[in-house]
Amino acid sequence: MAETEINAPIAKAERAKPAELVQLIVFRLGDEDYGIRIEQVKEVTITPDVAKMPKTPPFIKGIANLRGDIIAILDLEERFRLRPAGRPIPERSYTIAVEAADYVLGLMVREVPRPFTMPLSQIEPAPEFVQDSSTRDKYLEGIAKLPEGGIIIVLDMRKLLTPSEVMRLPGKTASS
Amino acid sequence: MNKRILIVDDSFYMRTMLKNMLTDAGYEVVGEAANGAQAVEMAASTSPDLITLDVILPDNTGLDVLKSLRQIQPSAKVVMCSAVGQEVIVTEAIENGALAYIVKPFSEEKVLEIVGAALQNDASEQAA
Amino acid sequence: MKTRDQEYRELFMAEALEYYDSMSRHLSELERNPNAGPALNELFRLMHNLKANARAMGFADLGEVAHHLETLFGLIRDQERTFSGSLIKVVFAGVDALGNMIRAVGANEPLPDATALLDNLDRLVRGEEPILDEAEEAETEEESGKKMELSDLVYIQVKKLDNLLNLVGELVIDRDRIMTLAQEIGNPALLATAQHLFRISDDLQYSVMDARLVGVGVLLNKFPRVVRDVASAESKEVELTLSGQDVQIDRNILQIITDALLHLVRNAVSHGLETTAQRAAAGKSAIGHLTLSALTERDDVLIQVRDDGRGIDTEAVRRKAVERGLTTASAAANLDEQAVWAFLFEPGFSMASKITDISGRGVGLDVVKLALDSLGGQLRVESQLGVGTTFTLVLPTSIAVKGALLIEVDDRPYAIPLMHTDTVLALQPSQISVVGGVLVTHVQGQAVPLIPLRMLLHDEGDEMLPFADKADMIGAQQVLVVNYNNRRLGLLVDRFIRQQNIVIKPLSKPLDTIDLFGGVTLLGSGQVCLVLDVPALTRLFLTKRP
Repeated sequence: MAETEINAPIAKAERAKPAELVQLIVFRLGDEDYGIRIEQVKEVTITPDVAKMPKTPPFIKGIANLRGDIIAILDLEERFRLRPAGRPIPERSYTIAVEAADYVLGLMVREVPRPFTMPLSQIEPAPEFVQDSSTRDKYLEGIAKLPEGGIIIVLDMRKLLTPSEVMRLPGKTASS
Repeated sequence: MNKRILIVDDSFYMRTMLKNMLTDAGYEVVGEAANGAQAVEMAASTSPDLITLDVILPDNTGLDVLKSLRQIQPSAKVVMCSAVGQEVIVTEAIENGALAYIVKPFSEEKVLEIVGAALQNDASEQAA
Repeated sequence: MKTRDQEYRELFMAEALEYYDSMSRHLSELERNPNAGPALNELFRLMHNLKANARAMGFADLGEVAHHLETLFGLIRDQERTFSGSLIKVVFAGVDALGNMIRAVGANEPLPDATALLDNLDRLVRGEEPILDEAEEAETEEESGKKMELSDLVYIQVKKLDNLLNLVGELVIDRDRIMTLAQEIGNPALLATAQHLFRISDDLQYSVMDARLVGVGVLLNKFPRVVRDVASAESKEVELTLSGQDVQIDRNILQIITDALLHLVRNAVSHGLETTAQRAAAGKSAIGHLTLSALTERDDVLIQVRDDGRGIDTEAVRRKAVERGLTTASAAANLDEQAVWAFLFEPGFSMASKITDISGRGVGLDVVKLALDSLGGQLRVESQLGVGTTFTLVLPTSIAVKGALLIEVDDRPYAIPLMHTDTVLALQPSQISVVGGVLVTHVQGQAVPLIPLRMLLHDEGDEMLPFADKADMIGAQQVLVVNYNNRRLGLLVDRFIRQQNIVIKPLSKPLDTIDLFGGVTLLGSGQVCLVLDVPALTRLFLTKRP
C-alpha cells in the first residue's frame, strides 16, 4: 500500500511529462517572434510616459512610473540591433514589465504581446547558427518550433537583466 | 592615536551605552554588530584595535565568534562582556585568547579600566 | 546628563517591550512543541539580555525575575527540566510578571512585588514542586484587572516611522496627481473634495514629520564631556557654550551628522584653539571659547561650531592644495578665500602638521562633507586669521520633503534641491565672457563659471568638454547658480518652471549607479522628473572643464 502510494505520483508525472506545458508571453522584435516565460513577466501595459535618462546606453529609453515603481525601459530591438530600417517604434507601444531577482525592468515592444501555451518539449536548446547574431544568443533559453511553421525565440530574462548587462554600453558611443 | 573599537552585542541598549562610554572617553567606535556574522564581517572590514564581545549572541555562541575573530583579526584584542552566571563560558573564552571580561551591568569606570588595560597589554596574551 | 538617562530609559523600554513580545511568541511555540530548541535558545537569550539591561538601569527586581527565568530555561535546554506540568504555569506567570514590571517602568510606577514568584522559580530550579496558590492566582488576576490602564506614551521603532514617512510621501504624490486631474476635469464637487484631501494629507505629512523630531540638545548635550577630554589631552583651557538645544530636527538627520559634528568639535579644540601660551602672546584671554549652537533659518536647521582661535591660514591651505596636486599653482593663485577653504573638505586633506591623539590619523574634514552630501545639506565656513573660525552645517528639518526648483532642458523637467541653489539670473550674451574655454559671468563681483546643463547631462566618454563658444547665444540666457562646498557654478537651462516641495524616491537598480541623479520625483501631472545631484554635477564640471 505504502509502496503504491509512493510510486503513483512518479508514474503520473511520467505520463504527464510529454504534455508538460509552458506559458509564454510572445512579442515581435524586428521580424521575429520572441517569448518570455510567463513567470518572469509582471505585467503588460501601454508604455507610460518615458523620461529620457542621460548617461545611459541608447537602448535604455528612459525611466517610467509604473504604479509607483520607477523602472527602466529597454528597447531590445536596439539592444540586439534588430530594428528594421525605416520602422521606428510607433507612438503607441507596449511595455512588458519583467522581474529580475530584485528589480523590475520594462521591455518596450511595437505590437500587443500575446500569451501562448505550448508543450515544453517543443523548446529546443539554441542551435549553433544563431551564434553570429551579436550577443542575443547568450540570453536564449531555446527555440520553439511551431507545428504550423514558424519559430519563437525564448529568452531567459534572468541572464539578460543583470545590472552590469543592462548598463553595458555597446561600444563607445559618439558624443552628441 | 585614537584606539578603534568594535562593539558586538545583540542588545541595542547595551551597544548604545557602551558606545557612549567609549566615545566619551575618546575612543573611536568603528562599528556595532548585533550578531556573530556581522561581527566577523565588520571585524574584517574595520580592523579594530579592540572588540567587546557579548557572550550570548542570537546566531552563534560568543565563543565560536571569538574563535573566528582570533583567526581573521589576531591582532585585535577581545574583551568579553557577560552577565553573572556565565563564568564557565568566560573561562573558556579566556583560554581561547580573550584578554579580559566585563561583567554586566557595567559601570563606566570598570569598562574604561578594563578596556584601557587590555589595550595597554600589547605584549602578553594573558588575561588581565 | 539627565537627557542621556532619559535616552537610555527610552531605549531600555523599547527593547524590553520587544523582548517581551518575542518571549510570548516563543512561549506559545514551546507550548505546542516542548522540545523546540531554537525557541528555548531564544528565550534563554532574551531573558539574559533583559536581565543585563534591567540591572544596568537599576531595576533589580525585574533583573531578578529575568535571571531566575534564564536559569530555568538553561536547565530546560540542558534537559534537566521539562517544559510540562506546574513549570509551565510558573513560567507563564513569570513572563506575565515581566510584562507588568516593564509596563510599570514605562509608567513610572513602583514595580509590583514578585517575592512569591521568585520563591516558586527557586523551587523549580532546585527541582521541587512550586506552591501554586489558587487564591493568589485569583488575586493577581484581579490586580492585573485593576491595572488595565495603559501608558500615555508609545515607544516606537524608528524603522516604523521611516515606513510611515515613505507611505505619506507616496500619498502626497497621488494627491498632487488627483488635484491636477480634478482641475482638468473641472467638476466643482470633485475639485472641492480634492482640495479637502490636499489639506488633510498636508496635515498628515506634517504630523508624521513632527513625530520624528527631536531636540538638537539630544546630541549637543554629549559634547561637554568630549570637549573636556580633548582639551585636557591637549593641555588647553576651553569654555564650551551650548545654545539652541530645543531646536527640533528629524532624528535620522541628527544621527547622520553625529560623527561630522564630533569631528568638527575635536578639530576646533585641537587645531582651531591655541595653547594658553599662544593665546597670551596674541593678547587673547587664556581660556579659549567654543560655542555649539543650533538655530532655525527658514525651513533649515543650522548647527554652528564657533571658536575664537587662530582662524584658517588661507595661504597655508593654498600652498598645501598645490603640494597635494589638487590644483595648479597658477589656478590656486586666483582662487578666493572660500574656494581655498573648500580644499579643507577634500578627502585626505589635513592641515595637522603632527598627528595628534585627538583628531586621529589624518582623517580630514571630508567626513563632514560626505555626511552633508548624503543629506543634501550645505557647509558654510567663516574665518578670520587670529580671530576665529565658524563652521555652519545647514541641514534640512526633515528628510522626506525637500524644496526644489523645477527647470526644463530639452522639454524635460528636472528638479534641483533648493539647498544647493544660490540665485537665478537672466543674462544677456554681453554679460558673459569666455575665459580659457569656459563661459564666465560675474555675480556680486565674483567670477562664476557657466555651463549649459544639457552639456553636462549628455557628456559621454573621457574627453574634456569642448571649448565654450558664445556665437550661438541669442537673447537672454536663463542661468541657475548652484552652490556646492562654496563653489558656485551657473547652469544654463531652457526655462524655469516653478518652485515646489518634492518627495524624492531613490533610483532603483540598475540605474542607481548614475551619480548625477539623486533620485526621481513624480510631478502632479504624473510625469517622472529626475532630481539632479549638485555635488556630482559640480564634480563632473571640475574634472571635465576644458
